Amino acid sequence: MTAAPPRTADGRTLRVETQTGLPGLGGLYARGAAASGRIAAGRALPSLPVIGTGRPASDDDGEAQAALVLPDVAYRVSGVRTAGLERHLHDYQRLLHEPVGSTMPAGYLHVLAFPLATAVMVRGDFPLPLLGMVHLRNVVEVRGPVTVGDVLDVRAWAENLTAHRRGVQVDLVAEIRFDGADPSEPPVWRGVSTYLAKGYELPDAEADGQRGRTSRPEVAPAGYDPATHGTTSAASVASASDGWTPPLPTGRWALGPGTGRAYGAVSGDRNPIHLSALSAKAFGFPRAIAHGMYTAARALADVGHRRADAYRWTVDFAKPVLLPGTVDVAITPRSDDDGNPAPDLTGTAAGFDYVGWSSRKGVRHFSGEVTPL
Amino acid sequence: MASRQSRAAATNGPRDAVVVGGNRIPFSRAGKKYADASNQEMFTAALEGLVARYGLQGERLGEVVGGAVLKHSRDFNLVRESVLGSSLSPATPAYDLQQACATGLEATIGVANKIRLGQIESGVAGGTDTVSDAPIAVGEGLRRALLDAQHAKTWQARAKALAQIRPGDLKPLTPATDEPRTGLSMGEHQAITTARWGITREAQDEIALASHQHLAAAWESGFFDDLVTPFRGLTRDDNMRPDTSAEKLAGLKPVFGRSLETPATMTAGNSTPLTDGASTVLLGSREWAESHDLPVLARVVDAETAAVDFVHGHEGLLMAPVHAVPRLLARNGLTLDDFDFYEIHEAFASTVLTTLAAWEDVDYGKNELGLSGAFGSVDRAKVNVNGSSLAAGHPFAATGGRIVATAAKLVAEKAAETGRPARALVSVCAAGGLGATAVLESV
Repeated sequence: MTAAPPRTADGRTLRVETQTGLPGLGGLYARGAAASGRIAAGRALPSLPVIGTGRPASDDDGEAQAALVLPDVAYRVSGVRTAGLERHLHDYQRLLHEPVGSTMPAGYLHVLAFPLATAVMVRGDFPLPLLGMVHLRNVVEVRGPVTVGDVLDVRAWAENLTAHRRGVQVDLVAEIRFDGADPSEPPVWRGVSTYLAKGYELPDAEADGQRGRTSRPEVAPAGYDPATHGTTSAASVASASDGWTPPLPTGRWALGPGTGRAYGAVSGDRNPIHLSALSAKAFGFPRAIAHGMYTAARALADVGHRRADAYRWTVDFAKPVLLPGTVDVAITPRSDDDGNPAPDLTGTAAGFDYVGWSSRKGVRHFSGEVTPL
Repeated sequence: MASRQSRAAATNGPRDAVVVGGNRIPFSRAGKKYADASNQEMFTAALEGLVARYGLQGERLGEVVGGAVLKHSRDFNLVRESVLGSSLSPATPAYDLQQACATGLEATIGVANKIRLGQIESGVAGGTDTVSDAPIAVGEGLRRALLDAQHAKTWQARAKALAQIRPGDLKPLTPATDEPRTGLSMGEHQAITTARWGITREAQDEIALASHQHLAAAWESGFFDDLVTPFRGLTRDDNMRPDTSAEKLAGLKPVFGRSLETPATMTAGNSTPLTDGASTVLLGSREWAESHDLPVLARVVDAETAAVDFVHGHEGLLMAPVHAVPRLLARNGLTLDDFDFYEIHEAFASTVLTTLAAWEDVDYGKNELGLSGAFGSVDRAKVNVNGSSLAAGHPFAATGGRIVATAAKLVAEKAAETGRPARALVSVCAAGGLGATAVLESV
C-alpha cells in the first residue's frame, strides 16, 4: 500500500520518508524486546531525545527568522505490530486509572505515535529547539477502538508554524491508521500537539500569512485565541487570578513525587523537568512537574466508559502541576441540545468538560473536553 | 398511625422474621481502649455476649452473617472463625459480607430474608471494625515483584523479579477512606453535598449536640443495659460527651470543605470519629423465638438498597438512602408520616440534614425521585431519639447492628407503652454511593 503524501493544514504537500520502526518505547515493545519487564524497558530507551539538537535561540533576529521553515517531510512507519504490547498497555492503564483491557485509550496511542513526531522535531532542519518548548494544547480524535493485535500505520509531521504572543508555536501532527487502510479516509486516531518556542519571532509577513489561513479546524475551535491563551499558558509567570471561580470538585488527585518518573517509564517521555526536583530546577522549575499528557489522560480516564468508542479529547495546559501536589478536578457532563441535563447512570451524553486546578493557589492547571464524534 | 396495609400484605407473603434482641460491645475511639483488639476478638465478644444473654450455648443457629470494612486478608472467614471461638454449636454456618458502612444492615436483611423464606429458623447479623488494628499492605511495586518471584520457575527468574524492587516500593500502604474513583475523602464528598444544599454550621452542631444528649440520656435510663456487654474495661461508648455544649461545638475548626468557595461547616464535632467496635442482632422466626422462650421486639417488614451516580457529582456520595426510602415505602403502602422513629445514620450531622432537605424539596422529588412533588417531611423530634453515630461513634460495619437493635427495642417499648403498633425507619448511607434502608414494626 502506498500512502498518498499528506497535505498539511497550512497547504504544503509533504514528502513521505518511511522509517524502519517507531522510535522510543512503542518500537521497543512492539519488537518484543522488553516483553519481560515493564520497568526494565522504560530504562532502556535509546532514541528519545532529551537534549534538543535544534537551533538555539539566536540574538541575530534577521538570520534566525529567515530560517524558520518547517521541513516538508512526513515520517511514516507501517506494519507496526501491537501484539506484544499487552503488558505495557496494562501498566499504562493502571497508572492512568483506565480499566485494564485490550482497547488502547487515546492517551496510550499518543504514547505510541508521538515519538515519531518527536523524531521530526529533532531533525537538523527543524527550526525550533525541542528542549524548552512548552506544550500548549492537544487535540485528539479517536474514530473507533484500536486493540492489542492490530497492525498500525503511523505518520507524523509538523505544520502551522504561527506567531504566538510569547514566541512561535507549531503543531505536531500524528496519525494512526490500520495497516492497509485507505489513506484518504480519516485516521482511526489523530493527535495534534501544539508547542510554543519562547523567544522566537516570525517575520510579520509570514506570521500574517499563517494567521490568514482558515483551514485549521482541528487546531482552532471557535473561541480559541492564541493571544489570550498565552496569558494562562505554562510559560506564563503572570498571576492567574483572572476572576475564575472553581466549580465544586468531583475528584481530587494526590500526585506523589514519583508521578513524573512513573509516567516517564511508561510513556518513554523522560524529559528531565518531569523526573526530579533537581533536574527540573535546571530548567527553571522549583520542583518536578507532572507530564501534561498524564493529567489530560487521567481526566480522560475519569470521564470513564461514557466517552464511548469515537470521541474528541482536548486539553489546554495552563499552570504546570508541581510534584508532589494535589489537583482538584471537576468532570462535568454537558446538557444536551435541548438544555436537558445530561442523562445520569447511562448514555454518552453530549460530552464532558473538565478542569483541574489547585484549590490552595486558586489557579487552573488544565482544562479540556471529551465529546462524542 | 396510617393503614395496616403492610401487615395485610405480609400475611399473604412469606412468614415474618423477627428481631429477638441485640448485643454489642461499647464503641471506642480509635487508638484507645481497643487499640490491640482485632476484628475477630471484638466480633467474638459481641457474639458471645449475645449467646450468654439469650442462652444459646451449644445451639445450632441457622446462620451467622457479618463482616468488616477494613479487613486483613487472613480474616477470609472472619465470622465463621468467630463462631468457632464462641460457645455456639460448631455446626452453625457463617459467611462474611461487606457493603461498606451498610454491612451490618445488609447482613440483617440477608438473615431476615432467609428466615422469611423458611430456609433458616434463626440467625445472627452483625459487623465489626477496627481502625486501630487496620491492615497495612505493601506497596504495589513490592507486591507485584513478590508475586512475580513466587510464580517464577527458576532461581534466575526469581532473582530478576526481585530485582524490580525499588526503595520507594518498600513504603507500606495504609487504608484510606478516600473514594477510589474520585480521590475525595468521604468528608470532602459530604462537604460538597452540604454546600449544594446550603446546610448551615448551626444546624449541624444542633444535630451533634442532640446526638450526645440523647445517647447519654439513653445510657442513664438503662436503655442499653440489655444491648451492650462491657469489653476490655469499657462499659459505655467512650466517644460520648454528655457535657458538650453548643458553645463547645461552635468553637471547633472546620475540617472538611475548606477548599470550597462556600464557608466550611463540617468539624470534628459534627462528623463521626474513627471508632472500633462490634455489634450483633439475633433474628428468628416467630416459632423459633417462641419455642426457645425468647422475647420478640419487632419484625423486619421490608428493606431496600439503592446506589447513586456520584462519580461526576450528579448526586451526593451519601445520598443513596434518599432514593431507597421512597421506593421502600411505596412498595409497602406507607408514607413518611407512618413512622414513630427515624433512625438515620449520622455519618455526618449534615448527612441527616441533606437527607431531610432532599425529601422536602419539590424539584428534587420530581426530577430525582420521580415523584409528583416533595417526598415528605419528618418530625425532627422522632429522629435518632436515643442518639446515633455522632455520639456513639461509627465502627463502619458495626453501625447497622447497633441501629437495628436500638430501633427494634424502641418500637417494642413504644407499642408496650401505647398499646398500638409502632414503626421505625432505618437508613444507612455507605461509601461507593450505596445505601441500605429497612422498616421495622412492633409485633
